[in-house]
Amino acid sequence: MKIAKWLNLSVLALIACATRGNAEESHVPVSNLRIESSASLLKEVEKNKIVFRGSDARYQCLVTGNDANGNEIDLTRKATFRFEPSGVASIDAFGQVAPLQNGTTVLTAEVEGAGATTLSIEVTNWDENPEVNFPNQVVPIFTKLGCNGGGCHGKAAGQNGFKLSLLGFEPSEDYEHLVKESRGRRLSTALPDASLLLTKAINAVPHGGGQRLEMDSQEYRVLRRWISQGLKPGKADDRRVVSISVSPQLRRMLPKQDQQLSVTASYSDGTTEDVTPSVQFESNDTDMADVDKRGLVSIKSLAGEVAVMGRFQGQVAVFRASVPIVGGTNEWPEPTNPIDGAVIAQLRSLNIPMSRVCDDPTFLRRATLDIAGRLPTISEVEKYGQDTSTDKRAKLIDRLLASDDYADHFANKWMLILRNRRETPGQKSGTFAFHRWIRDQIAGNRPFDQFVRDIVAASGSIDVHPPVVWYRQVPDNFSRLEDTAQLFLGQRIQCARCHHHPYEKWAQKDYFQMAAFFSQVKTKAGLSPDEAILFAGSGQPRSSHPKTGESLKAAGLDGPPRADSDVRDPREYLVDWMVDKGNPFFAKSISNRYWKHFFGRGLVEPEDDMRVTNPPSNSPLLEALAKQLVDTNYDTKGLIRAICNSRVYQLDSEPNGENLRDRKCYSRNYPKRLSAEQILDAVDQVTQTATAFDAMPDRTKAISLPDSSFRSYFLTVFGRPDATTACECERANDSTLAQSLHFANSKELIAKLAEANGLPTSLANRTTTHEERLQELYLRAFSRKPSDSEIKPAIAYIDRKADKLEAYQDLTWAILNCKEFLFNH
Amino acid sequence: MMLSILGQYGAANSYCDRESRRSFLKIGGMSFGATALGLADVLRAESAQKKNSNKSLIQIFLGGGPPHQDMWDIKSDAPSEIRGEFRAIPTNVPGIQICEVFPKLARLMDKAAIIRSVVGCKDRHESYQCLSGWIPDDLKALGGRPSIGSAVSKIKGAVDPAVPPFVGLAERSSHVQWSDCGAPGFLGAAHSAFKPDGPGIENMKLNGISLERLQSRKELLTSLDMLRRDIDTTGVMGGMDTFGQRALDVLTSSKLVDALDLSKEDPAIVAKYGDGKPYQYQYDGCATRNDHLLIARRLIEAGVRVVSLSFGRWDSHGKNFDLVRDHGGKLDQCLSALIEDLDMRGMLEDTSIVVWGEFGRTPKINKEAGRDHWSQVSCAFMAGGGIRTGQAIGATNRLGEYATLRPVHVQEVIATLYHNLGIDVTRTTVADATGRPQFLVDHGPVSELI
Repeated sequence: MKIAKWLNLSVLALIACATRGNAEESHVPVSNLRIESSASLLKEVEKNKIVFRGSDARYQCLVTGNDANGNEIDLTRKATFRFEPSGVASIDAFGQVAPLQNGTTVLTAEVEGAGATTLSIEVTNWDENPEVNFPNQVVPIFTKLGCNGGGCHGKAAGQNGFKLSLLGFEPSEDYEHLVKESRGRRLSTALPDASLLLTKAINAVPHGGGQRLEMDSQEYRVLRRWISQGLKPGKADDRRVVSISVSPQLRRMLPKQDQQLSVTASYSDGTTEDVTPSVQFESNDTDMADVDKRGLVSIKSLAGEVAVMGRFQGQVAVFRASVPIVGGTNEWPEPTNPIDGAVIAQLRSLNIPMSRVCDDPTFLRRATLDIAGRLPTISEVEKYGQDTSTDKRAKLIDRLLASDDYADHFANKWMLILRNRRETPGQKSGTFAFHRWIRDQIAGNRPFDQFVRDIVAASGSIDVHPPVVWYRQVPDNFSRLEDTAQLFLGQRIQCARCHHHPYEKWAQKDYFQMAAFFSQVKTKAGLSPDEAILFAGSGQPRSSHPKTGESLKAAGLDGPPRADSDVRDPREYLVDWMVDKGNPFFAKSISNRYWKHFFGRGLVEPEDDMRVTNPPSNSPLLEALAKQLVDTNYDTKGLIRAICNSRVYQLDSEPNGENLRDRKCYSRNYPKRLSAEQILDAVDQVTQTATAFDAMPDRTKAISLPDSSFRSYFLTVFGRPDATTACECERANDSTLAQSLHFANSKELIAKLAEANGLPTSLANRTTTHEERLQELYLRAFSRKPSDSEIKPAIAYIDRKADKLEAYQDLTWAILNCKEFLFNH
Repeated sequence: MMLSILGQYGAANSYCDRESRRSFLKIGGMSFGATALGLADVLRAESAQKKNSNKSLIQIFLGGGPPHQDMWDIKSDAPSEIRGEFRAIPTNVPGIQICEVFPKLARLMDKAAIIRSVVGCKDRHESYQCLSGWIPDDLKALGGRPSIGSAVSKIKGAVDPAVPPFVGLAERSSHVQWSDCGAPGFLGAAHSAFKPDGPGIENMKLNGISLERLQSRKELLTSLDMLRRDIDTTGVMGGMDTFGQRALDVLTSSKLVDALDLSKEDPAIVAKYGDGKPYQYQYDGCATRNDHLLIARRLIEAGVRVVSLSFGRWDSHGKNFDLVRDHGGKLDQCLSALIEDLDMRGMLEDTSIVVWGEFGRTPKINKEAGRDHWSQVSCAFMAGGGIRTGQAIGATNRLGEYATLRPVHVQEVIATLYHNLGIDVTRTTVADATGRPQFLVDHGPVSELI
C-alpha cells in the first residue's frame, strides 16, 4: 500500500477531536493534538470522550498520522471505521459521525499498514428533540445551500418574489420574509413537508435554482423540525457565534495530498459546536488547491503556500497549507537584510531553489524602468558597463531615486489612482496643479503619512492647496471614504455600504462610522464652478445607520470613536488614526502596493484588497516591509531603496531548475509588460522621435502627462487607465489584437520608423559596419550588446535587402516587437 | 457549460471583491476601439464558435421619441386634435392595423411583433435607456450600467477574432445622446462598441506598407525574438505572439473592412433598402441612413453580434405628421428590406431586430402640429430572433395616454433581446469594478414573445 510508505509504523493513527453537540469535555482543537509519540497520542484520545447531546449533534472526525518525515498527514478518507457496539452512532463517507440512539460505543479507525486507534463516544438526550433555533440553525442552511447568495434570493430584489438577506447577515429580516409574507404558502406547520420552502428546495415543485437539498438530509430534517415546532423566531438573548476555528490551521503537504478540515464554532454562551458541514469553504488559489463542500482540501501539483477560508455566520477562519517541492538538493545564500531573510526562509521551507542574480545590463534596465519609468540611455549603458565599483548597483538606485524621472514615474502612478482626470476644460488648471503637487511631494520624498494627510484632510482652494482637487474628482462622501480605505488602508469596504461585507468582518455600522468623518466636508463658491473652496463645517461628525437609524460617531475601522471635545477638522482625527504606528492597515497597505510595483505581484493580490480571508503570500515579509516604513517615519524612497538593494529584486528571470513554476514566492524575477506610457516613451526613445500631446510642450513624455485626459490611441490601446477609479486594476497590461495591429500597421508607427531624423534613417546613412550599427540598436533597446546568434540573422537580413533604409526600418521594427523590449525582465 | 463569468447560482465565489477589473478586462470581449481582445477572447471565441450558434441583434434607435400613436397604434376613435392626420391600414395579420405610412411593413406583420404598451420610460433624450434598460445615473459611481452590446461582448466575446462583437454605426450627432451607440458602463472601455472610424479601423487597412514586407518583418522578428516565453506566468507574451500572427490574418482577410463596404454588395439589394436622402428634419439628430441597415446585415454576416444604429430625429415638437411621413416612409422601406433580406438568407431566426425610441409623444397635438414628450407610454417594433411574431402586445386607452392592457416595462424588452441572444437575465451576472455581481436588468423577458 502506498499509505504504508508514508507512515512511520511506530506511530498509530490518531483520531483528532473537535467536538460538537454541547460536549461535556472541553473541546479539543486539533492544534493541541500535534503529538509526535504514540504513547501520548493514545493518552490524549482516552482522555477525551466525545459526548453527543441530542440528535442534531455532529462531529467531523479527523484521522491523522505522521509520515516518515514527521509531517502530519490526513488519513480520514483512507481509514476504515467500526463501532463496538454498533447502532449507537454512524459515520459517513466524509468521516462525519452522527448519533443514532442513547448509549456508549467505541469508534475504531484502522488504516492499513498503520494500525488502529479508538475513540469513546457517548450519546445522551437523543430523543429530546430540542427546539430548532432560527438564526443559529436555519439561516446557515440557506447560506450553505446558496439560497441567500447575491445571484439568488439574496440579491436586493429577491428572486421570484422571495427575498433573503445576503448571506444571512440579517436573520430577523429573513424571518419576516419567510414567515410573515404569504403565510401558509411558504410554510405549513400542519403539513411541514408540504411547505413551499421544502418542496422548492428538493425541486418537487419546479424551482429556478434546481434541487438544493436532499429529502434524506440533516438540513432537511432541521428545516422540517423548525416548521413543525411552530416557526420559532429565536430570541434576542439567544447565543451568537463569536468565533470559529479551523483544524488543522497549518499543514505542510505534498502534491496530490488531501486534508479534511473541521470547523468549530464558539458561541456567546461559552458552548462550542462542530459546524463543519455548514461552513462555506473557498480556496484562495485554485491553481494550487481545491476544496469541496465538505471541507476536503485537495492539493494539486504546484509548490507554494495556499489558504483555504471557511465562513460561517459572518465569521471566518483560514487554513494554510505549504506545499514544498519534493527532492533535489538546493542551497540558498545567507540573507543580509530582512527582505532576503523572509523570502529565503520561505523558499527554504518550500524547497524552492532561487535563481542567480541577474547581470549588470539586465539590472540597469530593470531598475531604470522600475524606478525612473524609462529605458537607460545609451550613454548610461556605456558608463554603467565601465564602472567597476562593487557598490555600483546601490549607487545606481540612489541616482535614479534622485532623478526627475523618478518623480514623474511615481506621480503618474499616484495621479491615476487619485483620479486626476478632466471632465471639462475648466478643470485643467486643477488637474495640472494637483499633478504638480503630487510630483513635488514625491521628488521631495515627503513622508507618506503627511502626503496622505494633505489629501484626505484637504481644505481650501485649489490654487492654495491643490489636493482639494481630489475632493472634486471624488464627488460624494461615500466614494471619498471608499477611495480612502482602498488607497491607503487596502480595504475594500464598499460592500458594507449596503450589507455586511461577505468576506470581512465589516458591517454597515463600521462603514457608516467611518463615513461620518466626511460628513462635515463643505464647499463654497471659488474662482470658478470647477474650483470650489473646501472647508470643514463646525458640526459634530455623525452619520446615521441606514437600517437602525442610530446616530453614529466617527470612528476608524476597529478604532476608538472620535471624542466630541476634539475641536479640529474631524478628518484630522481620521488621519491620526490611519497613520498611527499601531494602525493595522496603513503601513502594510503602502508596503504591499510598492512591493507589487517592483515585483509585478503583490504579497496580497489584488494589492488593495487585504482581508483576513486573503492572506499575504509571505506574512513575515509584509511585516518586515511595514516595520521598515514605520521605523523610518514613512520614508518611501527608503522603502524603494531597501527593496531594490535586496538580492530578491536582483534575481534573474531565468529559472533555476524547479522554480520555473513559482509565481508568488519571488524565487526569480517575474517579467512585467511595460505600461502603456513606458512603451510609448521607449518607442520614442529608441526611434529618436517624439509624440505630440495636446497643448503640451514639445518632447513631453507620456509618463509625465499631468492627467489622464490626453487623447492618444497608442496609450488607450496599450491599457492606460482613465483614472475613473481608485483601483490600480484599471490599468490593463495584457496583450490584444488591436495592439498588434497598431504595431504592425499604424500610420503612427510607420511614421516613427520613417522619420527623417529618426534612428532607422540615421543608421542606414552611417558608414560604420552593420555590426556596429546593430550593436547600437541593441544597446538602445535592450541595454546590452547582441549575441552571435542574433548578429547572424540580422546581418544576413541587412545584406539581403537592397534598400538599406528599409532594412534598418525592418530591423528596428523587429526589435520594438521583441518581448525583451516590451517587457521588464 | 456556462462561462465562469456568469453568475453561479448560489456559489460562494461570486460576491464582492472576487475579480479584479484587470482580470475582467483580460477575459473581456475584444474591442478594436480600445484595449481589449485578449488571448482568452480568441480562445473563447474559437470554442464559442463551435458551441454557440451566432445569435445576433440589430438595434434601431429612433432618437427623439417617435409618436407611438402615429406608428403602430393609430387612435382612429380619438377626437381629431388627438387622432392626427394618419389613418390605420390593415396588415397581413388579421386584426392588426398600423399607420398608413408603413405599407411594406404591413405586408410583413406576420414576421414582426409590436408592443403598444411600453412603460418605464424616462423623459430623457437618451438612447441609453433603449440600449441598456437603464439611465446613465444608475450605478454611475462605478461607471454606469452596460448596454446590451457591451454585455454581450463581455459574456459571449467575439464570434470571429478578426471581427468585433459589438459595432455602433451612428455618426456623432450634435445632441450626442442620440448617437450614443451603447456604453460599456462598468465593464470598461474594453467592451465599448467598435466604431468604424478612427485609428481602430485605419489599422485594419494597409497604411502604405505591403503585406509582403510585413511578412518579411515577421520572419526577421521570429529569428530575433528569443526571450524564453515560459518565464512569463501571465500569458501576455504568448498572447503577443498569437496576436502578432492574427494581425497579419486580419490585414489579409479584411472581413470587417469588407463588411462596411457597400460597393461589394449586390446593387439590387442596395436599391431595395433605398436611399435615406435627402436627410430632412435632422437638425441636431441623426440622419435617416437607410444604408446603415444594410451595413448592419453585412456586419452580422461577418460575425458581429450586436449592431446599434440611430435612424432619424423623431423629436417632432412641430410638423409631426410631415416628419413621420418622411422618416416613416424611409424606415418602411429599409426595415422591410432588412427583414426580407435576413429572411431570404435564413438569418432572421437568429437575428433580433428592435426598433424603438426613448419615449412616446403627447396625445394632444400642439399648435405647431407637433407632439411633445410623453414618457407614460411608448411603443416598440420587433422582428426575428425566434420571437413569436404576428402579434400586437398590449394596448393604450382610447386617447393613447396610458397602457390599459399588458404594460411592458422597457427592461422586459431588453430582457427579451438578451433572451434571444442566449443570455438568461435571471441567472447571468457580470462583475462591476468592485467585483460585485450585477444583474443585467431587473425584469424578465416578455413571456408573450418567447
